[in-house]
Amino acid sequence: MSKTVLQSDKPVPQPLQPASQAGKPVLQLENLSKTYTLGKREVPALANLNLTVNAGEFVAIMGPSGSGKTTLLNVIGCIDKPTKGKVLLDGIDASALPENQLYKIRRDKMGFVFQTFNLLPYLNARENVELPMEGRGKSKAEQTQRAKELLAMVGLSGREEHRPQRLSAGEQQRVAIARALANNPAIILADEPTGNLDSQNKQGIIKLLGNLNLNQGTTIIMVTHDSQAARNTERMLLLKDGKIVKEMQGLHANKKGQTCPHCGSRIQATDDKCPACKKPIYASDELF
Amino acid sequence: MGIVSRAFRNIARRKMRALLVIVALGFALSIMISIPAGVLANEKTANTVASNLSNLINQTGATINQTLTQITCSIPSSNAGFGFTLPSGTSGGTGTYRSGGYGGGSGGSGFTPGQQFGGGTVGGYFGGGAFNGGQATPMNESLYGDINTSIAGVAAVEPILEASEGNNVTRTVDYGGYTHAVTSLNVTYEIEGIPLTVSLVDNYPILPTNITAGSNLQAGDSGDVLLSESNSAYFGAGVGDSVTILGQSFTVVGIYNPASVLDAQTLYMNLSDAQAITNNTGYITSLTVFAQNSGDVSSVATAISTLHPELTVSTAQDKESQLSTEESGYTTALASADASDSQTNSTAIEEIVVVILATSLIVLFVMLYTVKERTKEIGTLKAIGFSNSTVMSQFMLEGILLSIIAGVVGIAIGMIAAPTIASSLLPSVGAAPRATAGGAVILGTTRFGALAVATLTPELVLLGFGLAILLGTLGSLYPAWRAAKIRPAEAMRYE
Repeated sequence: MSKTVLQSDKPVPQPLQPASQAGKPVLQLENLSKTYTLGKREVPALANLNLTVNAGEFVAIMGPSGSGKTTLLNVIGCIDKPTKGKVLLDGIDASALPENQLYKIRRDKMGFVFQTFNLLPYLNARENVELPMEGRGKSKAEQTQRAKELLAMVGLSGREEHRPQRLSAGEQQRVAIARALANNPAIILADEPTGNLDSQNKQGIIKLLGNLNLNQGTTIIMVTHDSQAARNTERMLLLKDGKIVKEMQGLHANKKGQTCPHCGSRIQATDDKCPACKKPIYASDELF
Repeated sequence: MGIVSRAFRNIARRKMRALLVIVALGFALSIMISIPAGVLANEKTANTVASNLSNLINQTGATINQTLTQITCSIPSSNAGFGFTLPSGTSGGTGTYRSGGYGGGSGGSGFTPGQQFGGGTVGGYFGGGAFNGGQATPMNESLYGDINTSIAGVAAVEPILEASEGNNVTRTVDYGGYTHAVTSLNVTYEIEGIPLTVSLVDNYPILPTNITAGSNLQAGDSGDVLLSESNSAYFGAGVGDSVTILGQSFTVVGIYNPASVLDAQTLYMNLSDAQAITNNTGYITSLTVFAQNSGDVSSVATAISTLHPELTVSTAQDKESQLSTEESGYTTALASADASDSQTNSTAIEEIVVVILATSLIVLFVMLYTVKERTKEIGTLKAIGFSNSTVMSQFMLEGILLSIIAGVVGIAIGMIAAPTIASSLLPSVGAAPRATAGGAVILGTTRFGALAVATLTPELVLLGFGLAILLGTLGSLYPAWRAAKIRPAEAMRYE
């Protein structure tokens, strides 16, 4: 594994193929430990955790409160530094980078999607999507062009000039996903992306993430405690006491493997329902 | 979507707050630029006042020296009635009652040569020892030419004709059991005719000095008159108007403020004019003799008495002491002007320091509040890849932009209100220090130079902008640094 340390302010060079080559590791966590000090007490949040996520995977990280989900997310997102261990992101050892270089990793390698959307209220949808592209040497026209394409991709054509307060919660989260995709990141890191949505919008966002993963090969790591949403990913990880204690396959894997999870008959990746048994492939309340 | 337009949108986002900051900062900045404007104006006025005062002190000193050389000569009429005719109506000059009063006896029959004049004052003094002073008897001017030619030590001779005009007022007076109807002259104005020759006007204190409007009489003026303020009110005439005095029309060249109430009703004109309108050609009521130096005064006075025994000769000790008082008053005023100037400067510095502190604090707290309020937004920006320095400059720019807008407002306020602001915050802008001498206000803006009016120079406008940017920078520095230190994890917090 080659190790690159960012020295200049130049953008991290983008591979021509998006988000590394499918099947190659894009995230490697090696012997990761994180300990918080609360007063005099040392509280372990992550304990010797190992995880590899390959490019093109759609991963859900689940776990009860206090299991270390948020800490793990922060460490993967280069928001927090591990006490011990390595974080290799697209081949770059982020844990070895100084604080003043990490913002470039976040800008160029990561796309954040938040539970509360976190759009800037005084910017319209397009301007919010353009935001991460600032300072990366793209012309204004290129930024606008890219923002419009991304907004079309998440189904918001024609709503580019709307400010967040004029968009529904689901639409705001779509803008946030478009923003996360702006710099063609190696990983989309979603923190409870469905946590503030009603069930209809929740399904819409999960389907959108699934389609992005399916069609664009976008690597997605989603932290959630919504089991319904987690079941619709490809790979579910259960976190407990700072360790991954269980791993399961999700329904998205069936889509990718083109096998119906209910009757085992062959399906198309674009199918919402099994042509044979007519059951929806994704777990859902109503939609699928 | 650049950093500048984002800063503008953020300011526009909180309109009331921006407005409050802009108004508060604007006022503070207008104060900051008005105070130096006021200080400059004050300094200018103080300099004018100080230089006027030093001139005046010099002049007064010179006047004292001249006064010391002054000898007044007149012929008292031993039995001239002071102020009253006999009840029987016998003509003035033989009155027996010396019941005092202002204005003296009425001749009762106009002004003809050889007759007594009412209301003569001697040497400009009427008050002190009035009852013993007696009346001046008209003197034939030609008889006294020898004072100038034959007495050693005489520098100049000023012949003076004084006359009073008034109405006869009759009233009844009870004299211990029997009453008389008494007629007295109610003086409406007094004429003082003096020779307006170049040598006298230029070298001797023969004219009043405190001109409040128009100009003083000049050497050679004829048909012109200098009125006192109460004359001006009596005639209802101002500078340039014409007034009729004893049937003759005169042009008012100026108005003066008498140094003494005794001179309140005295108007000045050329001696020849005064002699003509009072039918006294060739006659005068007194002579002022100027000795060459004060040491000669007593010998000159003795020589005059020897030459003209009929004259009462007096020197001007009283006047000297009055002038000395005046001079010391001016000196006090000069000191107080200097003190006021330095007090203005220290007040200005204190106020500017307070305003700068207050302004920086306003920016500081508003920006701190803004940063706190936008913690999550800042966290988000950092999570999606904004560097610390970008975040910091974003907030710096917002604070500076706010301050620049406030600077424009402040300069606009300053343009309109600088004089008001400066005069309400600084001591004695627009009002020169005052001092009194001899009971009269001798120092004021009207007499001692320009009113101090604070005006904004282009340098002060630039200073205002500079201060706005400086204060915006200072006030935003810490909040922007705080913003830069916000961790991206803040973006993850749920509201």
